[in-house]
Amino acid sequence: MESGCGVVERTSWVPAGVDTGLPSAARLYDYLLGGGHNFAADRALAERFLLAQPNARAIARLNRAFLRRAVLHLIDRGVRQFLDLGSGIPTVGNVHEIARRSAPDARVVYVDFEDVAVAHSRLLLEDDPLATILQEDMTDPTAVLGAARGTGLLDFDRPIGLLMVGVFHFVPPEDDPAGVVAAYRDAVVPGSGLALSQFTSDLQPAEMAGIVEVMKRSMNPMYPRTHAEITDLFAGFDVVEPGVVPLPLWRPEEGAPDTDDPARAGIFAGVGLKK
Amino acid sequence: MAQPPARPRRRELAREWMTAVYPTAYVPLSPVEIERFLLDLVDVIADAVQAEPFTAAPIAEVGQRLVRNHFTGPETLQRTVEVLGRALLFTPELSDVPSLPEKVVAILGALSTGFATAMRLDAFDRQEEVKAALLAAKQRAERVLEVSEARFREVFTTSAFGIVVTDLDGVCVEANEALGEMVGVPFTELPGRRLVDLFHPADADALATRYHPTGVRRGERFREQRRLLRDDGEPVWVHLAVSLLHDADGAPAFHVTMVEDVSELHLLQKNLDHQLLHDSLTGLSNRQRFGSRLEAMHRKSHRGITLYHLDLDAFSVVNIGMGHAVGDRLLREVGRRLEVVVAGERALVARVAGDEFAIVVDNGPATPRVPEMVERINHALAEPMDCGTALSASIGVVDRPGADWDVDELLRAATATLHRAKAHGKRQWLPYDRHEDRRSRAWLARAARMPGALADAELEVEYRPVADFGSGRVHGRVARLRWDELGHGDCVELAEANGWSLVLGQWALREAAAAAAGWSAGVLHFVLSPMQSRDEDLVGTVMRVLDETALPGTGLRIHLDTRAMLAAGGDNAQVLRDNGIPIGLAGFNGGQAELSLLDELAADVVLLAPAAVRRLADRPGSLPHRAIGELVRSVREFGAAVCVPDLDTPALADWWREVGVDGAFGAFAGPAVPGYEL
Repeated sequence: MESGCGVVERTSWVPAGVDTGLPSAARLYDYLLGGGHNFAADRALAERFLLAQPNARAIARLNRAFLRRAVLHLIDRGVRQFLDLGSGIPTVGNVHEIARRSAPDARVVYVDFEDVAVAHSRLLLEDDPLATILQEDMTDPTAVLGAARGTGLLDFDRPIGLLMVGVFHFVPPEDDPAGVVAAYRDAVVPGSGLALSQFTSDLQPAEMAGIVEVMKRSMNPMYPRTHAEITDLFAGFDVVEPGVVPLPLWRPEEGAPDTDDPARAGIFAGVGLKK
Repeated sequence: MAQPPARPRRRELAREWMTAVYPTAYVPLSPVEIERFLLDLVDVIADAVQAEPFTAAPIAEVGQRLVRNHFTGPETLQRTVEVLGRALLFTPELSDVPSLPEKVVAILGALSTGFATAMRLDAFDRQEEVKAALLAAKQRAERVLEVSEARFREVFTTSAFGIVVTDLDGVCVEANEALGEMVGVPFTELPGRRLVDLFHPADADALATRYHPTGVRRGERFREQRRLLRDDGEPVWVHLAVSLLHDADGAPAFHVTMVEDVSELHLLQKNLDHQLLHDSLTGLSNRQRFGSRLEAMHRKSHRGITLYHLDLDAFSVVNIGMGHAVGDRLLREVGRRLEVVVAGERALVARVAGDEFAIVVDNGPATPRVPEMVERINHALAEPMDCGTALSASIGVVDRPGADWDVDELLRAATATLHRAKAHGKRQWLPYDRHEDRRSRAWLARAARMPGALADAELEVEYRPVADFGSGRVHGRVARLRWDELGHGDCVELAEANGWSLVLGQWALREAAAAAAGWSAGVLHFVLSPMQSRDEDLVGTVMRVLDETALPGTGLRIHLDTRAMLAAGGDNAQVLRDNGIPIGLAGFNGGQAELSLLDELAADVVLLAPAAVRRLADRPGSLPHRAIGELVRSVREFGAAVCVPDLDTPALADWWREVGVDGAFGAFAGPAVPGYEL
């Protein structure tokens, strides 16, 4: 980090595991969404991110909006329980809040690895009997699934909505992304859903290269994928209409202003149902 | 008073507003929901514009509600002001509102203030949340750390294991009380000392290399059994478990050594090993250890080994007569004396069974030969024990067996030889004899097969004619056993050896009686085996057989074994006679005791011992030859008939006829035939 951006005074209340001088993607996302759960280093990173991709705030918003639509779509398909992998910092429109507006009995298990995200989620969900947060690495399905089963919240004999929204671009190729998805897929029953969105270099290659460069210097380097690669992640799922598309094109809601240019949306998104 | 703007216009405004702010912030609602929400706010604003008297107070709440519902993007307020300002100022329906521009400014100002205030409070709230979350995370981490630190302290201080932390130079940084106690040094004095100095010098060097930081990879432990050296010089056996700790940067920093005092365990283990391999009474090796040592000695020996298998003669007499305590003492003493006998040799003495000992000697240039060694053993045992008894032993010896013999073969050969030696009487010894051994092995194998053979009807009873020399005719038949090529004597000997004598005898008696009941071939002679002669149920058995077969008692001659009668008393013979069954004494040698027995029982017949008959046949003209005539005469005068078994040739038969015996059986009188031929 450049000095000046990275130098953050460590206050006594910051836990040992949290290095406020090292920006994290979760807090960057929070900042782009207008959240307040971030530190100077995160905001400095966000500014550079915005230089590389001026549309970043919109992309963050669109991605969050996709999450909402995907959850509601899965609820329409009968899914009542969700495993939100890489759930991030709970700011606006968390899965359990969205889901419960139409399905009050919905159960949600959040999974994240970032300390602030986990700490905040823990506070938020403290008194919620139907939702919880697990601090696990989503690329270790065995650990995640074991811990998720341990919560007793999810019934693996009934459909589960797997949410990997805006998170897979942090999974490097050497971590076998297809294998990770497959492991989760194999743990759930047919009729379960997968909502996945991730950055692509197909849409704005120059901006994407800039983002990759910026993120190289964070704790979370990014790995954009092509449309074909992202579609391949849905192996074993029937991808629902309209397929894997730029964020705003995925089942836009009635009355939505036509102000977001799909070509500048940065992220492909899709929902599949397990065969 | 102006009319409120038409409802459609308010909807139109809400839609415009939604379109303007929708891209500025993420609100987790559908566009339709957002529009409905904003329509509520439009109502509040429009109503305020038209209210009389005018107040902007309700508008502050609009700003707050926007923030509360996440309309909080950087451009959200600006776009809101633009949309609302234009709509309020230029909507035709509001054109007649007095002082409209002032009111619009007041309304937008109140909205902005409310928004800004709510944003500030929201930011505070978020910061509070972050703080709370972080604090919670920190406290959680600290609690875990505190608990684990407290737990570690507790383990460290109260553990029965010694625990010592050393730096990479091997110097103690911290040690607990348990370790202090193990080495006999106050644990507070251990820091600063080199850990290897606490170990036995023989272990120190090896440990020094093991403790090298590159010797242990991250997360690895090594375990060893070593000796600590107490302050007073006494070694303490310990188990060590050593792990290498790394600092935050992953560089090796400390060794943690767990030390378990196993000296008691060590002794116990040694003790247990000893118990497993030694005889608890004498402290000598047991059979198991003897077997493995024997094998090792046999394998490595240059001049060959000699194996002695000893059985104390009549030890059961001592044990029963003098009590087990004395017996135990004697066994210990025997063990001690045997060890003295082989003290100068590379040898091992073991107690391999109750009163059996074994000695293996690895022959050296000065090792005595077998006869001398046996002499030494006998001499050692013959020395009176403290209870006054002197012992003797029968010994089987396997001397310098071939290298190809395995340990089982060695032990078996020694045992077999011992049994042959015992058959010769007390204080006998025999060397292993391969030919003899083979014969006895085959014989024992045959004995083992007998029960099956009996069940499969491989054994049969056949009948030899008994010649009456007086009338010159056959006067009856004697029952003989046959098992393939084995004749009567072999069958009886086998049965006596394997314990089937009674069963076999009863079976044969029933077979023979049934055959005799149906023939007209005269009297049935049946010779009982020694065991059968002593059988307490003999009379019952005989009576039952007679009853079942309807053979009259007078048609039967039961010959009891003379030696068995001498040993067990003549009750069986007496009672048989009382029941009207003529009896004979078989295996009669004519000794004083036998004559007394004859006198006592008043037997009807005596059947001379086959061995005696053979001896006489071998040495015509000798003293026994002459003496037998006297014997026959005396017995006959007493009133008993004399019968001779197993005469093969007519010449022998003639000789015995000359002597004056009453009858005889054997090949001379005709072949043995099965019952159905009679």
